[in-house]
Amino acid sequence: MLNLGLDVVTTAAILFIVSTGLLLVFGVMKIINFSHGAFLTTGGYASVIVTQAGLSWWWGIPCALAIGFVLGMAVERFIVRPLYARPLDAILATWGLGIIVGQIITLVFGRGVQMVESPVTGALAVHGAQYSAYRLILVGVALVIALALGWLLNGTRLGLQTRAVIMNEALARGLGISSTRVRFMTFCTGAALASLAGCLITPLASVDPNMGVPWIVGAFMLVLVAGSSLVNLAVASAVLGGAQVLVSTFINPVLGGLTIAVLAALLLRIRPEGFARG
Amino acid sequence: MTLKNGVAPAWRTPVVIGVAALAVLALGSVVLPTFLVNNLIRAFLYAALALTVDLLWGYTGILTFGQSAFFGIGAYAAGLVFTHAGFSLPLAAGALAAGLVCAWLVSRAIGWLAFYHGASPLYASVVTLVLPIVLVQGIYSGGEFTGSSSGLSGFDSFDVPLEAWFFIAGAFLTVVAVIAWLFVRSDAGRLLVAIRENESRCEYLGIDVSRYKARLMDVCALVAAAAGFLFACVQMVVAPEYAGFVFGTELVIWVALGGRGSLLGPIVGALLIDVGSAYLSGNLPYIWTLLVGIAFVVVIVAMPRGLAPLAANALRRAVPRKRRIAPVAVSFVAAPARERERDDAQSPQAALSLRDVQKHFGSLKVLDGISFDAHAGELLSLIGPNGAGKSTLMRCIADGAQRSGGTVEIGGAEIRKLAPYDCVALGVGRKFQTATVFESLSVAEALRIARYRLAPPAKWQRDTTLELPQPALDVLRLTGLDKIPERECRYLSHGQKQALELAMVLALEPRTILLDEPTAGLTKQERTQIGAIFVALATRYRMCLLLVEHDLDFVREISSRIIVLHQGRIVMDGGVDEVVNSELVRAVYAGESHSDAASTEGGA
Repeated sequence: MLNLGLDVVTTAAILFIVSTGLLLVFGVMKIINFSHGAFLTTGGYASVIVTQAGLSWWWGIPCALAIGFVLGMAVERFIVRPLYARPLDAILATWGLGIIVGQIITLVFGRGVQMVESPVTGALAVHGAQYSAYRLILVGVALVIALALGWLLNGTRLGLQTRAVIMNEALARGLGISSTRVRFMTFCTGAALASLAGCLITPLASVDPNMGVPWIVGAFMLVLVAGSSLVNLAVASAVLGGAQVLVSTFINPVLGGLTIAVLAALLLRIRPEGFARG
Repeated sequence: MTLKNGVAPAWRTPVVIGVAALAVLALGSVVLPTFLVNNLIRAFLYAALALTVDLLWGYTGILTFGQSAFFGIGAYAAGLVFTHAGFSLPLAAGALAAGLVCAWLVSRAIGWLAFYHGASPLYASVVTLVLPIVLVQGIYSGGEFTGSSSGLSGFDSFDVPLEAWFFIAGAFLTVVAVIAWLFVRSDAGRLLVAIRENESRCEYLGIDVSRYKARLMDVCALVAAAAGFLFACVQMVVAPEYAGFVFGTELVIWVALGGRGSLLGPIVGALLIDVGSAYLSGNLPYIWTLLVGIAFVVVIVAMPRGLAPLAANALRRAVPRKRRIAPVAVSFVAAPARERERDDAQSPQAALSLRDVQKHFGSLKVLDGISFDAHAGELLSLIGPNGAGKSTLMRCIADGAQRSGGTVEIGGAEIRKLAPYDCVALGVGRKFQTATVFESLSVAEALRIARYRLAPPAKWQRDTTLELPQPALDVLRLTGLDKIPERECRYLSHGQKQALELAMVLALEPRTILLDEPTAGLTKQERTQIGAIFVALATRYRMCLLLVEHDLDFVREISSRIIVLHQGRIVMDGGVDEVVNSELVRAVYAGESHSDAASTEGGA
């Protein structure tokens, strides 16, 4: 029972970590960044590079953040910026970017699965039950990310401008806020977060050129349900992630893998605004 | 091109080209090398599948990732039956039927989920994305029965030589392409483009867009399932990848590269890329996919219409000749007057009746207790400062789902929660504040879309005449639009667009017309002209006009009655002179303190 509870909490934390970057981009720019999966993959390979260079796994985190941010700069400028007015085309172009990144990684690293040694092994005893220490650490990481983003949005000038753009872009522009700059920074941050998430999940999943693809659909669904609020995303991760754990445990894992997508699609049919204003 | 009986033989060119294509296929099956024949069979089926994606996405604007799922359903129907029950002709026919029925049922479910009044286009894409994912997981968990991740192979199929399959697959593609060609070029097919360009305008023209999209998806699902069935029969292998969403995105890529919204583009795109991969992916394993990915991104960002227009332009420059598809000259004629109108003119019932209509967003009351009747022959103007709730009131009359409380009756029938297209059927037409027309349709095509509900257009050809009710014809004549039926709407002036939209609304033969600032941005002369039209609609054709206007002089000249709206309430309702000369109106318009207006309200 306790184990199940921990499964729910850690799964929600992982989903939250993987989806925040997508949420940030969707909330501010109103486009779905399907290259999110590619950024996850990039982050995964960042940790491969770091460990192959003989450095500690933890160096992968700053490395992944930096690579994601820099890559995000180029992508925003050349692919996303021309497509603001065509949100459905933006989905396609970013998906195409995902193909390009996947192929380049394949050309450089080969098609095979790369193993990354887990930085933290073993289990922690929680009230007598043994539980994977790394998964528990991720809960803390999710909290740190949430707090950091909360501070960025609510405690900095750029964050204030970002919230203004989220609420009313035309008005924000009228007040002299450069929405181009806000979008640029948002996209780069979103890309960096995706890359970070890719690095963080390497101890749990194998690293291969298409590792991002299975994650993106789930993240996409969570973001659609959550709208543009971090709190809603946390709620959505907990509810849908929890449902996934329960279905996997009690019914079967295949159905469990579909839970998020199907539940989210049905939820959006009944309540198009998702968890927003709920 | 010769004209027979005034009707262009629209079927002739596509059918001739189709027959020519079949002849080329027959020849190709004999001369082409086996490796190419083998790959082309598969590519033909993929191209037919890409055509359905093009119809849904390129023409109608529904971005779908789910056509692969329908293809997979058709393929697995064949694979499962042939593996578990063996192969025979009746079984094959049964498998095809089962595949089609399954695809149809799934498509109905998807249509119900994805298309409803007010659904966002993104949501439809989400649903088509979830479908293949669910289907593939289902196949994975099918164990021995579905062959799980390795699929089914080694089953028997039709004993037909490769050359014959080449012809069959090619003929399938040709038939699908010719039918699609006839349909998209027909009068009814223009609705696809109209939906893509302005879904909301279509709904306010009385067209149930969601239903139409769902039917289109049904047809596309059936074609995809048939293609999947043929695929399984010829390849004698089915695998989950063919039903998966990655394949679904590949289809979108082929269509985007070839040219969405054209028919030849996606066919060529699918053939070239699929056959190209067969030849090149062996030598350049990852580079080929990389190149396709780069081309895709570049095309989406820089050439949204794909490579087809580019190729077409190059061809036109290289081989100068007259336009292949001569525009069909459309002449407007008067539609026979309907019985209904005469009845209504005499009926004493109010054309429009509102009782205690409310609209609030949270605690903010935008409309509060609006009640009034309007009769046939009245030209009723709604005035009031910005934010008074005039446009909101218009919306509440034309869309049953908008108001928060109260009742609205149109011609004696309550609108309940009816969607805009059902409100149109009750006899109300709405002209938007900004002129909304279909940018890439011609004037005549736009008007034909407006007639869709009352006079369904021809499905496989283009008519040379268009019947319009007299008021719509009057508007076209007065503004000169009747002389330029072939002009694309995007090239019209602002005033012409306003007039065209008015004519489109009149083509619905409404009894009540809602006009939201119809003179905004018009010149003085156009304004006088349109004012005269309004008066004629009310007096000569006995319609009921509800007009939102800011220009008090214009309102005074044409109205028969004026309602003043202020802060969501009716503060005055009366004759023109009475209202225009009242202190209250001056107070409201001069922006004097709200308490003044409110205190006078009791006496109004």
